[in-house]
Amino acid sequence: MRNRNLWYWLFLAPALLALAVVVILPLAFGVYYSFTDWNGIRIPSFVGLEHYKALFAEEEFKDALWFTTKFTVVSVFLINFFGLSLALLVTQKFRTNNILRTIFFMPNLIGGLILGFIWQFIFTKVFASVGELIGVEALEGWLSTETTGFWAMAILMSWQMAGYIMVIYISFLEGVPQELLEAAEIDGANSLQRFYHVTFPLVMPAFTVSLFLTLSNSFKLYDQNLSLTGGGPYNSTQMVAMEIFKTAFVENAMAFAQAKAVIFFLIVAAISLTQVYINKKREVEM
Amino acid sequence: MKAKKLFPAVLSLGLLIGGGLAGCSSSDDKTSGENGKDGEKVTVDIFQFKVEFKDQFEDIAKAYEEANKDVDINITTVGGGEDYGAALKSKFASGNEPTIYNVGGPQDVADWNDKLADLSDTEAAKAALSGTLEGVTKDDKVLGLPYNQEGYGFIYNKEIFEKAGIDPKSITSYSALEDAVKTLDSKKKDLGLTSVFALPAKETWVTGLHLSNVFLAPEFDQNVINAFESKEVTFEHGDAFKKILDLQNKYSDQPTVSLDYAKQVEELFSTGKAAIIQQGNWVSGSIAGIDEELASSGVGILPIPVEGYKEDSIPVGVPMYWAVNSNKDEKEVAAAKDFLDWLYTSEEGKTAVIEDFKFIPAYEGYDASKISDPLAKEIYEYSSAGKTLAWTFMGYPTGWGQEKLGINIQKYVSGEMTWDELVEESSKAWTEARK
Repeated sequence: MRNRNLWYWLFLAPALLALAVVVILPLAFGVYYSFTDWNGIRIPSFVGLEHYKALFAEEEFKDALWFTTKFTVVSVFLINFFGLSLALLVTQKFRTNNILRTIFFMPNLIGGLILGFIWQFIFTKVFASVGELIGVEALEGWLSTETTGFWAMAILMSWQMAGYIMVIYISFLEGVPQELLEAAEIDGANSLQRFYHVTFPLVMPAFTVSLFLTLSNSFKLYDQNLSLTGGGPYNSTQMVAMEIFKTAFVENAMAFAQAKAVIFFLIVAAISLTQVYINKKREVEM
Repeated sequence: MKAKKLFPAVLSLGLLIGGGLAGCSSSDDKTSGENGKDGEKVTVDIFQFKVEFKDQFEDIAKAYEEANKDVDINITTVGGGEDYGAALKSKFASGNEPTIYNVGGPQDVADWNDKLADLSDTEAAKAALSGTLEGVTKDDKVLGLPYNQEGYGFIYNKEIFEKAGIDPKSITSYSALEDAVKTLDSKKKDLGLTSVFALPAKETWVTGLHLSNVFLAPEFDQNVINAFESKEVTFEHGDAFKKILDLQNKYSDQPTVSLDYAKQVEELFSTGKAAIIQQGNWVSGSIAGIDEELASSGVGILPIPVEGYKEDSIPVGVPMYWAVNSNKDEKEVAAAKDFLDWLYTSEEGKTAVIEDFKFIPAYEGYDASKISDPLAKEIYEYSSAGKTLAWTFMGYPTGWGQEKLGINIQKYVSGEMTWDELVEESSKAWTEARK
């Protein structure tokens, strides 16, 4: 690490340059704009902390933030639960393992927008027809109430991401040394005990990664939200990213939206970093 | 040894920087090069929103280029599902400013103020129908030219009305409309209807902008500038508004909060499952996509009655205006004006406007008998008879119609909000936005 000579920097330069141009500079500009009255057209003048003060007084933003938080808690749990279950399933000695892995992973290859539209069809048309056929009224009119809209989003998200998270769990599950499991078996541990006391601690690093990915993805969700519910009915399923977009482009308040985005960035960063920190401490070294 | 290592590093760095620079500068080179070679040629960049007439518009621009060899017209279209406003802003921010672009009304005029050329001296501005320039005139300067006129109301299925024994001509008041709806509802089975109406409450522009406009326009004396300058909204005709909304909601396919444009127009109306929808002449294309015959002869338009004000009128207005960028040099601005003049006042242009674009003209001197679309024709008739209500929703505070009122209407139809709360909340949001 000591010999950081010219070469070191020369080879690092392209990456640093790219990072500066596409991440650091826009971020800095964004923070600057959030202190101005920029509307996307005119040259801005400085307004100080005005936007930040107005931000937490706004119902819509708070609603969106609360909805996003609820959604994130539920979907992080669901995705990891299903992801781990699927991973456990396909690491058993079945013949169809490879096909199953592919099938479970596939939803992840479809873009969020298209997926949203497909599920919109399923929730409104298929659910309604099935509901009518078997006479269950609860299946009709999905996406038209807040609760069903919420669960529709959670279902869509878990369906899409569980396969991806599964892959991460698989790689760690396959890294669990067989000797340890055998040793535990000889010591008289049943399969549940073996999973809980041997496998589980060893796949802890997978939790760190998966929780981080699902947490930040759920928080930042936009396409699926847009195409599935569009925030409707009456903005009750509107997530933060969408609320920010609408503030910027529908209400034409660019700088205000930028202030919201800065706060949003801080929240996501704080939660993700805390989560990684806590998880890291719980990982066991082999 | 060192030279061996140095080479790939320098090469990769060189490629990166070279590639980056080339990418940035290529567009500049092109324009300056062209101007350098033959200074006579003027390029007019058009950035417009109407996707429906994109091809026809490009054809007519080509014809203009043929006739005027020194003018080069580039058309970029962003619209339909895309956000034109956002695209326009990024276009300007990139430094690649278009010569001709679109503005929607007083709010846009205020926002783009520094970049709008005065168009008062154009032939087209003089030929524009009275009232169509209201939203884009500031200090006696005309800052935009109307595209066309559009109108909306209750579009109905003629065949269904005939079968039910209802004469559409008799529907010129709220009570007549209500009777007709009840008649249709009672014969729903025989007529093959799932519902009389299809109210797309999911589309906040249909409820929050179009429907509300009918009942708020009287309050602003039907003048978009009055709406734009008004510090408050009182819902003077709120009761009439509630009645129409309730009527549509009660007799519509449920749940209305998740009913969208496609379901309303294509799935329900075009297939004859709904008899009446609140929409404008722009749906002709969508209907024709499902049932050509219905679109060409089977549809008509009814007024949206405002009880206690005007019960026999339909709202007619200008959807968007052409604006010319005042930042461009004089020659380019002049060329842009010439092109717009030619488009709306020359014989060739007029024919294209009516026959190819299928527009309802917003200018004098057109032969209305050439309008082929039945809805457009009827709207033009209402317009000629003076039975119109103005489009004042362009003067609502930015985002208010869709994000505030439209959302409140969704809450109202799903029982999450009472009508009084809706009026109170929406007025409050208006006042707040105009502070």
